[in-house]
Amino acid sequence: MSTEANFAISETEDRGVAVLLVRGEVDVSTAPELGNRLFSLADEGRRDVVVDLSEVTFVDSTALGVLVGALKRFRSNGGDVRLVVTEPQISKVLEITGLTEVFSIFPTSEEAVGA
Amino acid sequence: MTTEASSRAGSDQPTAEEGFADRVELALPARPELIFLARMIAAAVASRADFGYDQVEDLRLALDELCLPLLGEGTAEDRMQMQFDWTEDAIEVAVVLGAQARLTGGVGRAVTTPKPNELSERILDALVDSHGFDHRDGTTRSWLRMRRRKDLD
Repeated sequence: MSTEANFAISETEDRGVAVLLVRGEVDVSTAPELGNRLFSLADEGRRDVVVDLSEVTFVDSTALGVLVGALKRFRSNGGDVRLVVTEPQISKVLEITGLTEVFSIFPTSEEAVGA
Repeated sequence: MTTEASSRAGSDQPTAEEGFADRVELALPARPELIFLARMIAAAVASRADFGYDQVEDLRLALDELCLPLLGEGTAEDRMQMQFDWTEDAIEVAVVLGAQARLTGGVGRAVTTPKPNELSERILDALVDSHGFDHRDGTTRSWLRMRRRKDLD
């Protein structure tokens, strides 16, 4: 069972907001793909994006770096990157790094889209 | 001879050669897509040492962060050699990088920037009791030490 096999991103749209549902482990190997998807959405002119991490089982600092980079990009265009976080281990990493104070974090995708 | 070292949380640098009941060694190509294997072994070792679930997850992440600077400098020929030592009270992990990397014998190589970046540093500081790196006989060795937290069992 490999990280590559576990990792997946699916994209949907809810009330005009792009939603990326990420699954599996986001690490130095897989984070670049997440970054590419986020920056592609920014290039398309999307104002806001929801990154649903509720099915993510692992994030490291490279994943956080990608999310922070995307946040800067979207906020520079007047938008935002909203996170959906439900797993305690993911919340813990965000808290350790102080990023709970930086990102808008929601318990469900519905709430994140509606914010 | 240790020429440079960094440590955290006021704990002593590990003494991996003494006092540890069990040891597992792992060597793998220094490629990002294989780092999950190191995390799997870290989790297995922590479970075997009977650490609680939270600390198993903590060690998985801490090892990943410890390896990132080495992966950043790894070439196609390089591999990472890891050594896991544990007792019922603590786990130590040491990692070296090199084409013929060994934790003993000095045949690994120096890593130019073994220091974790800011996010990694925050994560490691929070999750382990001490971590750091040293340069010895031309080989850079990155290490961490985690003590059992009985309040998390």
